[in-house]
Amino acid sequence: MDFTTVSNLPIFWALAGVTIVISALQAYFYIREANIATRECNINPEIPKQAFRIGLISAIGPALGVFIVMVGLMAAIGGPMAWLRLSIIGAAPTELAAATCGAQACGMDNLADPRFNELWMLAVAWFGMALNGAGWLVFTGLFTPGLEKLRDKLSGGDTSWLAAMSAACSIGIFAYLNANNIITKTRGINIGGTWAALGGAVSMMIIGRVFVPKCPKLAEYSLGIAMIIGIALALMFA
Amino acid sequence: MANNYDLSTWKKDCIKIGAPTNLLAAATAFLPVLYLCMKYNCWPNISYVLEAWLQTALLFGAFYIVEPISYYASLGMAGTYLSFLSGNIGNMRVPCAALALDVTKSEAGTIQAEIVSTMAICGSIITNLIATTAAAICGAAVVAMLPESISLGLKVYASAAIFGATLGNFGLKQPKLALCSLAIPVACKLIGGMQAWLVIVLSVFGTVAIARMMYTAGKKKAA
Repeated sequence: MDFTTVSNLPIFWALAGVTIVISALQAYFYIREANIATRECNINPEIPKQAFRIGLISAIGPALGVFIVMVGLMAAIGGPMAWLRLSIIGAAPTELAAATCGAQACGMDNLADPRFNELWMLAVAWFGMALNGAGWLVFTGLFTPGLEKLRDKLSGGDTSWLAAMSAACSIGIFAYLNANNIITKTRGINIGGTWAALGGAVSMMIIGRVFVPKCPKLAEYSLGIAMIIGIALALMFA
Repeated sequence: MANNYDLSTWKKDCIKIGAPTNLLAAATAFLPVLYLCMKYNCWPNISYVLEAWLQTALLFGAFYIVEPISYYASLGMAGTYLSFLSGNIGNMRVPCAALALDVTKSEAGTIQAEIVSTMAICGSIITNLIATTAAAICGAAVVAMLPESISLGLKVYASAAIFGATLGNFGLKQPKLALCSLAIPVACKLIGGMQAWLVIVLSVFGTVAIARMMYTAGKKKAA
């Protein structure tokens, strides 16, 4: 059966839904716990309500960005997996990177490789995303109680270098991921991928430098807008 | 029980809720791929899966540990469990929690701060679930309505554009580092014949090394 058809079958919506229900249940249990704590500690009951409202409203902007990116992700990895991956740990770049690693492990250039069309390859990409997400979930599931102590120990050193180092890690990762789309094993310099990456990068920088200072709300939509511009340029010039 | 409830009760209860749910979600996230393999009997060779895992671990392995530690201060205990299950931490959870703490004038480390950040994050999770579910319902219709060339464009170029935009965003703050960093994997690819994991290691550690040089140079200048 065809790749795209399989990855959008109803059964996968149901199976992805299991994890999403767990996420919603966890939020429900924490709201209940917060209500108990509010009552027991005599905190003004208006305060948690206000905090909840702030979260609900402030998330609308970034969530619209998630909506746009998810439509793109749905085309790349199928609807159910996009829904699952963007509802739990993982933002679009991370999930696309994990799926790309899966495709590469199968000997492909990237997700768009025309030879990336067998079900076992799809399975490798899905395993890659699930294993990657499990890293954060297992770590926080097991070690959150110890985080406070650990943080004090680590930041005992040079905290500003710690921040600079984690930024450098991210830059290195995305440099690698971009290089994959700019140069492919089979085709050398990939013109479409290069336009998309360049378009995304330049429009993100212009949005950040020129438009966000005038209209800070725009920052939340910037990734979605830059994605659309990058794709448009690639379609026009490739 | 009145008045016996304090920060340590809160933390204990938070662990009881968070630890099992996060671990359970890590397991249930495998349901779709396990079903796929069973139903279509398309079990991949384990070596491919391990290689994919190794590659993602090289990319993100450090973040499994670094992110929870570095976000802990802004998220609190319940917030950490909630955020790492629901994702979108930097762009959604942290800003929402910070704003809520600010508006309610809650002092860090108090039970009120814990309650406030928890409630703000829960609110943002509900908004996010609505957005992804709406995209799931009408996003498919949107994709189906799109002309062939555009849906092809989304499929082929979405990841390239998102990766480019993310690097561009870093480049805004550290243009020199971003450019040097990009040169490393591009050079590796042009030379050719290198395994993916080696290119990843060279990109990440090379970038950290360059950043270290810039950092010490900047410090010397300032001194």
